[in-house]
Amino acid sequence: MAARALGWLAIVALVGGLGAALGYAPREAVQGNVQRIMYLHVPAVLTAYLAFGLVVVGSVGYLLTRRPGWDRMALAAAEPGVLFTGVTIVSGSIWGKPTWGTWWTWDARLTSTAVLFLVYVGYLLLRGMVEEPDRRARYAAVVGILGAANIPIVHFSVKWWRALHQPSSILGPEPSPVAAPIMVALLVNWVAFTLLFAYFFAKRIEIARLEEPHAG
Amino acid sequence: MRDNWGYVFAAYAVAAVVLAGYWRHLARRAKVLTGREGAR
Repeated sequence: MAARALGWLAIVALVGGLGAALGYAPREAVQGNVQRIMYLHVPAVLTAYLAFGLVVVGSVGYLLTRRPGWDRMALAAAEPGVLFTGVTIVSGSIWGKPTWGTWWTWDARLTSTAVLFLVYVGYLLLRGMVEEPDRRARYAAVVGILGAANIPIVHFSVKWWRALHQPSSILGPEPSPVAAPIMVALLVNWVAFTLLFAYFFAKRIEIARLEEPHAG
Repeated sequence: MRDNWGYVFAAYAVAAVVLAGYWRHLARRAKVLTGREGAR
């Protein structure tokens, strides 16, 4: 029931976010309307960070307690995390073509994000390959924790290396130079994506519980 | 710079298809598993 309410809340927020991104937010002076992809691209990657952060919490929890609930939590966060990382990569690629003139370049940010995506795809594949539940959860927990070590590399790559990708405008140490309407549209979409993730997370936990052999 | 609305719509359309697809997958899986539980 709570998941259902979250789902409806996410839909309402996403519709509001779409309106803010494509209508309310002003046309950006340098890039034009193509910059509106940012309202999808940035919330998607921030949601992926949140998801993989929860994978770490669930993984550490499992390794410390061996309680399956922690493993379910890690799985339920990893799946949508991969999805949101995929959306980040594809939307970034579509944004890159008109602004950089290329769909893809081996820039530090792009490459580290692709590595993050592949590590967690590997995490999900690993889970599918190991049958014994405790061994599966232990192996997955190790990969889940090690994989998240890449998140600071993804985030700070634009600072640490000379990159084509622009530096962070929102989560940087300096006050954000972003204009208020742009920031509002971004925040609305960020909230909407977080709600959508919360729905996916709750639903996936429910499914993982039902999938267990002794469920019910 | 040209407005490139086509790229904007393409990005949002891909995201919508992926996220809606996952939503549908979860809904179907939950329905199947709940039915199985009910049949026990």
